[in-house]
Amino acid sequence: MMTKKNAAGLSRRSFLKAAGALGAGASLASALPAFARGLRQDALELSLWWWADDPAYKTWVDDTAAKYGEANAGISISTLQMDTCCVISQFTTAAAANEPPDIQFFFNGIYHMENVWLGYVEPLNDWVPAEILEQSNATSLSVYDGKQYRLGWYPVPLIWEYNKDAYDKAGLDADNPPATWDEWLAACDKLKTAGITPMGGGISDGFWGEWYLGNALTQSLDTPGDAIDLFIGDKDFRDPKYYAFWSRLEEMVSNGFMNDDMLSVDLFTAATKVTTGEIATTQVVGSVAASHIPLMGDRVGLMVMPVFGEGALAGVPITDTQGWGIPSGTEHKQEAADFLMYMQSPERQTAFWETHNFFPGNKTWDASVVTDPVLKQMYDTWVGGETSVYIPDLMPTQFWTDAMFVAAQEIIGGNMTGEQAGEQNAGIVQQWRDLNPDLVENYQKWAEGLAAAE
Amino acid sequence: MIRSNRFTPYLLVAPLIALLLFIFAYPIYKLFDFSLKRVRGFDGENIGFANFEFLFKDPVFREAIVHNLQLLLAVVPLLLVSLIIAIALYERLRGWRFYRTLVFMPYILAVPIVGVVLKNMFQFNGPINETLRNIGLPTLAQDWLGDKNIALWTVLAMVVWRESAFGIILFLSRLLALNEELIEAAQLDGANWWQRTRYIVLPQMKGVIEFYSVIGLITMTASVFAYVYIVPGKGAPANGTMVLELYIYNWAFEKHQPGIGAAASVLLFVVAATLMFILFRVR
Repeated sequence: MMTKKNAAGLSRRSFLKAAGALGAGASLASALPAFARGLRQDALELSLWWWADDPAYKTWVDDTAAKYGEANAGISISTLQMDTCCVISQFTTAAAANEPPDIQFFFNGIYHMENVWLGYVEPLNDWVPAEILEQSNATSLSVYDGKQYRLGWYPVPLIWEYNKDAYDKAGLDADNPPATWDEWLAACDKLKTAGITPMGGGISDGFWGEWYLGNALTQSLDTPGDAIDLFIGDKDFRDPKYYAFWSRLEEMVSNGFMNDDMLSVDLFTAATKVTTGEIATTQVVGSVAASHIPLMGDRVGLMVMPVFGEGALAGVPITDTQGWGIPSGTEHKQEAADFLMYMQSPERQTAFWETHNFFPGNKTWDASVVTDPVLKQMYDTWVGGETSVYIPDLMPTQFWTDAMFVAAQEIIGGNMTGEQAGEQNAGIVQQWRDLNPDLVENYQKWAEGLAAAE
Repeated sequence: MIRSNRFTPYLLVAPLIALLLFIFAYPIYKLFDFSLKRVRGFDGENIGFANFEFLFKDPVFREAIVHNLQLLLAVVPLLLVSLIIAIALYERLRGWRFYRTLVFMPYILAVPIVGVVLKNMFQFNGPINETLRNIGLPTLAQDWLGDKNIALWTVLAMVVWRESAFGIILFLSRLLALNEELIEAAQLDGANWWQRTRYIVLPQMKGVIEFYSVIGLITMTASVFAYVYIVPGKGAPANGTMVLELYIYNWAFEKHQPGIGAAASVLLFVVAATLMFILFRVR
């Protein structure tokens, strides 16, 4: 008997066979996730999303994950290194979709606090002993409403790095860098006369401006809470005290103390110029300064930004901390907390130092192993001593893009004065307040907590 | 024989329509939904038209629109450069096949790669300015990326340089498909190069020129994000290269206000839809 065929030449029998096979395949496929889940009950895999100032820290992250897996049968950690642009925004998206990782890297301050306010980050107090929370050095900017949301990883000192040879060439005392603003201006004159650019940087990507604000605005503040007051409107950027830091930038620009290509180069391209002496001084973070030691040896000079401000925080070394948290949406909070505590163990802290030649954040780490004079100065001044928190961690992100980024570039381009920058900043924070009344309330509560912590 | 009624075609396309609705309709619905909300995470409080009111008052939004309009000017040089080079190659200059490969190279390279290279070349103390200084033309050395009044035009030149590669290949492929008998006949009748180009070649290329013009308009309106984000950097200096795409991105992802980003997208959507409607009516 002939089998009736359709236009494509497929017989009815073949069609039914194919349909049956597809149906069976689909049923099997739908059963696989359940099967896989069943398997996972015995072998738990925790996911960890992370970022670091130095991508090479991957070695330590992967090693820590591997060693934890070896020591804890049935648990493994899969790590995913993220880009600067997306490490937080992708976490927010994943958390909103209820698919966050089990362990998440967090920048300090507002960069994780916005997720705290959305309910995406778990307070650690119920999972990690208080002494470990304190020892991890996560700073007060990780605390909201009495709860701590991050454990510290490694410190991020904010430093003015200078080239001692360039200072020597200009007839300056390289071992005693300028401490006040007047001394700094006098030093700039000498450096300029010697044909060396006194202060340099690259601001096309904006981060130099953020670091400048971190170093300079802090000098007008008595407490970190003052910065929050500026953002919520209890203090005003139009007050000369609070735009003085922009005026100091304007002063350096108008005196020709800064590199002429600042607007067209980015932060790290320009920072390397201090190693060649092309620029005498620049702003860096600790890990960058440490990476210059193999190039310059003990000719790497470190200083706190010379003092011009009259706030209680003026002249106090500034240190931020990178850190880790646990997303609220993970089903494995205890396991995630156990891993975070493992990261804080003396063995892992020592491994971080030995692998990357940079300090871990934990206060209990034995810093006597630091013998390099530059690193020792960095540790003693910016980690071991009295420090201030990093004020840009308190900035609303709108202030970063619309106020800091724009004002810094306008001043360096010679298109804006410090006073005009203060006016512009005040306008942007007002705009932010109008658009975000709910965040203003959270900020107020945050400021109260910070004031209480002081 | 399959009997069909008037619903059969609709039934046949229904699965595809359903797929398209699934892919496009929900995001567009959410876009409109977000534009009326103060979004936190995936949802938020309804605030009416406040996001739109903000946009109409925001000078940066106006600046972004102006910059996009300025970039539209690039469509003219984009067309001219592509046409001239394509016709020159069509004339089979010595080594034209090599040049054809060469001019298409920028288009093969990803924008971020091209962007990083050009960013370095156009730095204030980069190779271009150093060359100008060394050949005795220091006054021509500008801060191509750092000067607010110049940066957008630098970006425009970069976009024309890279995007014209596609136009050249497009025009050249059309030229190679022309009926050469017409051109040879005109040549025999004594028509010179310009007359042949003006009266024989260009009229036959009308369709592809129109198509490429539309591509150019779309590129300048909605595909310059990577250039302004990478080359000057995030719309630098001081919003001097801010365009609508970057403006939307900034509000949605940098400033964590997806509502305002969505409102700007809705306006862009409405304008694009209106232009498309007019275009279809005219054609």
